Amino acid sequence: MIFLKYDRRILQNFDWTLLALVMSICAIGVINIYSTGFSLGGNQSPLYLKQLQWMAMGLVFMLFTFLIDYRMINRFAYFIYAVSIASLIYVALFGHTANGAQRWISFGFILFQPSELMKVTIIIALARYFDDHKSHEPYLLRELFVPFIMVMIPCVLILKQPDLGTALIIIIVFASIVLFIGMNWKSVLIAATGILAMMPVAWIFLKDYQKDRLLTFISPESDPLGTGYHIIQSMIAIGSGGFLGKGFLKGSQTQLKYLPEQQTDFVFSVFAEEWGFAGGLVLVVMFLFLLIWGLRIALHSKDLLGTILAFGITSLIAWQMVINMGMVLGMMPVVGIPLPFISYGGSAMFTLLGAIGLLMNVSVRRFILQR
Amino acid sequence: MEKLYKLRNGPGPAEFRQKLKIVMMLVCLALLVLTVRLWHLQVIKGDELKQRSENNAVRFRKIQPLRGLVMDRNGRIIAENRPSFDVLYMPTKGVNPESLVQKIKDIYKTRSVDYASDQPFPKTVKSYLPVRLEKNVSMEKVALVETNAVDLPGVYVDVTPIRFYLDGEFIAPIIGYTGEVSREELTESEEYSSGDITGKSGIEKVYDAYIRGRRGNELIEVNARGKVIKNLGRIDPVAGSNVILTIDLALQKAAWEAFAGLSGAAVAMDPRDGSILAMVSLPSFDPNLFNSGIAYKEWVKLQKNPLNPLSNKAISGQYPPGSTYKLIVAAAALEEGIVKPETRIHCNGSFELGNRVYHCWNKHGHGSVNLHRALVQSCDVYFYTVGKMLGVDTIAKYARRFGLGDLTGIELAHERKGIVPTRDWKLARMKQPWQLGETISIAIGQGFNLTTPLQLAQAYGALANGGNLWRPHLVKRIESSDGTIEKEYLPEKTGDLALSRWTMDVISRGLWAVVNEPGGTGSRALISGADVCGKTGTSQVVGLSQDARIRRLRKLSAIYKDHALFACYAPMKSPEIVVAVIAENAGGGGAVAAPIARKILNAYFEGKHKGKAPQVAVNPLTDGHAAKGLTLE
Repeated sequence: MIFLKYDRRILQNFDWTLLALVMSICAIGVINIYSTGFSLGGNQSPLYLKQLQWMAMGLVFMLFTFLIDYRMINRFAYFIYAVSIASLIYVALFGHTANGAQRWISFGFILFQPSELMKVTIIIALARYFDDHKSHEPYLLRELFVPFIMVMIPCVLILKQPDLGTALIIIIVFASIVLFIGMNWKSVLIAATGILAMMPVAWIFLKDYQKDRLLTFISPESDPLGTGYHIIQSMIAIGSGGFLGKGFLKGSQTQLKYLPEQQTDFVFSVFAEEWGFAGGLVLVVMFLFLLIWGLRIALHSKDLLGTILAFGITSLIAWQMVINMGMVLGMMPVVGIPLPFISYGGSAMFTLLGAIGLLMNVSVRRFILQR
Repeated sequence: MEKLYKLRNGPGPAEFRQKLKIVMMLVCLALLVLTVRLWHLQVIKGDELKQRSENNAVRFRKIQPLRGLVMDRNGRIIAENRPSFDVLYMPTKGVNPESLVQKIKDIYKTRSVDYASDQPFPKTVKSYLPVRLEKNVSMEKVALVETNAVDLPGVYVDVTPIRFYLDGEFIAPIIGYTGEVSREELTESEEYSSGDITGKSGIEKVYDAYIRGRRGNELIEVNARGKVIKNLGRIDPVAGSNVILTIDLALQKAAWEAFAGLSGAAVAMDPRDGSILAMVSLPSFDPNLFNSGIAYKEWVKLQKNPLNPLSNKAISGQYPPGSTYKLIVAAAALEEGIVKPETRIHCNGSFELGNRVYHCWNKHGHGSVNLHRALVQSCDVYFYTVGKMLGVDTIAKYARRFGLGDLTGIELAHERKGIVPTRDWKLARMKQPWQLGETISIAIGQGFNLTTPLQLAQAYGALANGGNLWRPHLVKRIESSDGTIEKEYLPEKTGDLALSRWTMDVISRGLWAVVNEPGGTGSRALISGADVCGKTGTSQVVGLSQDARIRRLRKLSAIYKDHALFACYAPMKSPEIVVAVIAENAGGGGAVAAPIARKILNAYFEGKHKGKAPQVAVNPLTDGHAAKGLTLE
């Protein structure tokens, strides 16, 4: 319990900047969800309230991940990983199904999506692995076999749900971490060739609607499906916002419900329509600060473990943000990846705040680490 | 500081510093690209997109696919698609829907046609979803709406395919019907989306995945009046696959007509592979009623009809098999060695057990009869005696071998199992021990015994083909709309009678004599040259009670009248068709059911004589342009 010992420096060096940034972005998210006015119907509370509830729970979780020294958490990395895998298996067997996907565990009054948790746990597990297997030389392909398997197990389970977006994000974050800590150039080439060769095989396993989406992106003229509709409506919404936006609660695309999935994947279109380029720019700059801040934490960490953790969490947020915005702006194919802290989604909010707690954890303890 | 870094064992800090700087630059670059794109959309193209959002012109329209055809074994069309003209209204700014509906009514009135829809106008309308005002309207209304388009902003006529059953009533129990997808189906599967047409019962439901086809989509730009001005892209729908049934439409029709209005059911099956040639259930309903949404009144009328027109009695009607069950008792007796063919039993018209008397249907008695005569004259006392010796559980063992008491496995839903009673069954079901008297009833197919007409056909079919139970099936194959075979259903053996050849021969000679020998109860099914083998049955609705009051009642009221049954196959040497008939509350099997079976057999042999009917041309709607879905330009 030495790690829980109160240390005055924890408060002294607390990362207020990070907390303030994240809270501001979350606040924008809640206000925006309020504007979509979306409610699950029945006697359920409106969506923005639910998001606030999840935020509150996430903050408690954040406190938890912040207070326990991350080296302590690291000891339990594989255990946490195993629990996450178990919950994914549980979902595959008994999970709650909605919109044709079996992704949730039902706790009676709330639904939790373990694949969101997995996005963070995989980073913790990989950090542990690479911390245990330090190397002066860039990693060779065969040295990466074990972490590769560690990543593929949850990916396969998540793909089965089916949830292409989440599986994709996990693989991309894995690739980012591996490239970051250093991989032999030859190995990179071999892996890249291997992935290219696997593409046609992967194509077979894609669902029809996923194929349609990719095809829609590759040749937008053939653009006939719902996906084309999503993108066109999203672009109309964003574009019609103009420089200053139509004003809060005044976005016609949003309020008339032309915009699909407006509280989740296409939430940024709502924001851009109502707040215009000015608002969009503010949000992008806030994200920019957040990401640079996260990378700075990775840079200043006193040990490899902290560096990998901070880098992994930052890259998770960065990739999700870039892919989501790219999709909404019509620059990338439509894959179900939400915008961190802004999209509605309890499990994502909860785990992301936990991840931010971990980031602060690394940030603060660089002043404490003496050993 | 340097001292601390030495703690690291991994890559040097300088290397990380280098890499992190690159990553930071990449992040800046990515966000810059996003910002530029945002600028491009919002500032450069902002005005144009704003224009588009104001009269949000882009709409997404589903194009319903054509359902596959259903054909009989000779390619005659049973279910096809016809165009249905619907009057739709696209919500338009500044138009009051109520006064609009009134305007339509006024326009209709000038030609004295009525506005048919009794549905109230929906309270909330979405500005991009059209409201359907009227379904399946006449050409006159189409003309009225089109010529008055200027006065009716937002109102237009759309064409959608609608199911049409050519010989609706007499095939409805098999084919089922279609309807708009229900809320439950929508939540169950993501294959459906609201407004889709799906099969609701029968073949339409079971094979919906094949018949349905794939929905098309269209992205269109419309003007303020809801008229399409630009087509932004479209995926053509894929027409559903065609289902070819084993049914012979001519025979189906003959079977329907043979009943001449009686209620009941009949199954005609090929005993060699289990393919159903005809299956009727009477009374029936017109499945076309459901296609454009059945009126509530009509629905209640169908549901409340005591003759149950919505059920398929051939598979879900359970009846005491009556004397048709004697086939099984005879087989059991011969196999178990209880009697030999020449064993004689004396029938004086009644059978005593304890203090109860069980009568033969012929109260004067049949005299001394052997198995052959007992079958021919359907002597009850003979079978009471044999049944008592066999015991209920042994009879049940043989009944199960004949496939009774179990689902036959036909493709349709709502098939019932019937009941083959045993001692354990009664104990579990009624918590009472078996009574010997009940065995006596069982031996002549009364009492707890229940079978479906299809089970009866399968049982007689098994005897006819030398002992094999084939899974009865209705679908021969499935073809895609261009004619390539997608799936072919092969006969599937589900059981074996495990009777000796000799037993089967003895019984089938008996069944032949039932129809062909003088004095046989089934003589009304006689067709010269066809060698029909069969067995009559009369199942008592009120039970075996000798209560005179009930007997009187039975004469008075139709619902207490006996069910007439007849099961048969032909020709004796190499059977090609097995027929089971039940006419509800119609009287004796020999008098009522046997003639119906004869008509069905006659139609079959006549049809065979004439040769196969010519292949009928494919539905014009599936050819050329129209196959891509129906849209009105």
